[in-house]
Amino acid sequence: MRRFLTVLAALATLSLTNCGYNAIQTNDEQVKANWSEVVNQYQRRADLVPNLVNSVKGFAQQEKDVLLGVTNARAKVGSIQATPEVLNDPAAFQKFQAAQGELSSALSRLLVVTENYPQLKSDALFRDLMSQLEGTENRITVARNRYIKSVQDYNVGIRTFPTNLTAMLFGYKDKPNFTVENEREISTAPKVDFNTSPAPAK
Amino acid sequence: MRAMSVARPWVVALLLCFSLTASAEVAIPQLTGRVVDQTGTLSSGDIAGLTQKLKDLESGKGSQIAVLIVPTTQPEDIAQFSIRAAEAWKIGRKKVDDGALLVVAKNDHRLRIEVGYGLEGALTDVTSRRIIDEDIAPKLRSGDFAGGINAGVDRMIAVANGEQLPAPQPQASHGVDLDWDTMTSLAPFVLIGAIIGGGILRAILGRLLGSVATGGLFGAIAWIVAGSLLASILVGLVGFVIAMFADAVNTAGPPMRGRSRGGWVGGGSSSGGWSSGGSSSDSGSFSGGGGSFGGGGASGSW
Repeated sequence: MRRFLTVLAALATLSLTNCGYNAIQTNDEQVKANWSEVVNQYQRRADLVPNLVNSVKGFAQQEKDVLLGVTNARAKVGSIQATPEVLNDPAAFQKFQAAQGELSSALSRLLVVTENYPQLKSDALFRDLMSQLEGTENRITVARNRYIKSVQDYNVGIRTFPTNLTAMLFGYKDKPNFTVENEREISTAPKVDFNTSPAPAK
Repeated sequence: MRAMSVARPWVVALLLCFSLTASAEVAIPQLTGRVVDQTGTLSSGDIAGLTQKLKDLESGKGSQIAVLIVPTTQPEDIAQFSIRAAEAWKIGRKKVDDGALLVVAKNDHRLRIEVGYGLEGALTDVTSRRIIDEDIAPKLRSGDFAGGINAGVDRMIAVANGEQLPAPQPQASHGVDLDWDTMTSLAPFVLIGAIIGGGILRAILGRLLGSVATGGLFGAIAWIVAGSLLASILVGLVGFVIAMFADAVNTAGPPMRGRSRGGWVGGGSSSGGWSSGGSSSDSGSFSGGGGSFGGGGASGSW
């Protein structure tokens, strides 16, 4: 009997490793780690926003609407909890992404407006903040890319044979991934109009 | 025949897909040295001088900085290109992540300083942008590439020297660093191998001698694969203990034996994977230490 149990234990270890149970766990942790990095960088951006708004305010007080838009979007982002549980809830994930997307577009509107204030653009503090914002946006892109790749690995593992059987057995579902928010906007060619103010950057 | 004609457009489409993805991005150049110039802009004297500076930094401080000059990064943005280069080259020490990369895209008139995680505290986005705007860009504008890159590298070195980092390892022992990940990923093979190999050896040599032989064999294999005494002793001990006490499997009867032979083959074939992982380091010339990057740094133009 003891022998039988030992053999069974050895087989179980073997089959769990072979059927990708460990791989699923590894991928799952990788997804979580990459997600934390995404959230971390979004947080960093949110922390930058108040300073940015203040420095713009000093030079461009009349752009109230734009500044208010950024502040509101920032508040909305702050109110959404981005725990790893979000990853298993597509609706919450959508909401998080929508809020961050809103802040992104509010910020890009702000940057367009700042083009009209040469004094602001040459201000040292503003320039520093801009390079920080730029760096943070770049980090967000990198973090999102890594997240997308790790989710891809995870989902491929979950949906291909034979690991899909293991996943089914333990109830692992595929995870949501980032999509482009403004797909339609991107796929239509931008209009060039020389009569009005500069077209939105990016 | 009809199936053929239906399939043909698909095949063509698939081939098109391949050719499109193949030409989409600029390939990352080989890391041939600390300064990689694909445009032939820098003279060999410039490159030697820069390389010496960067070498001194690594031996004194441990940080690795590299310079890459390419004609263009199109269609990618320089930020996307440089993070790919940084990921491919893995500059900076592993876990310390104190690498930095200066990328210049000559025809695009764009440049970027890519900063590893460990240097982000000193070489912040703001500092990187200032180095680009104040030191490098003005010289590049006047066509003085060697001067601009030298000035930028000098200041990057100065900034990196200001950061608190772990001291460099004296004469880095270039054996395979045996971290916990590789150990645990090998564990199943060691376990299964020891049970089966131990069973066979014990059947031939008797219990104690067979177990000792298994342990010795495993130690020897670990020595060859990992090149570390500690690892080989550890693995040898594990092999010995398993062979000594895993009675059950050996005497479980003929069906088990057939299964176990398959397992042994599996374990054997995987050893090819280990050794290829081990032999990649230690190649005399410059190679990245395994540092990671997260997109920190700044881009600029001239």
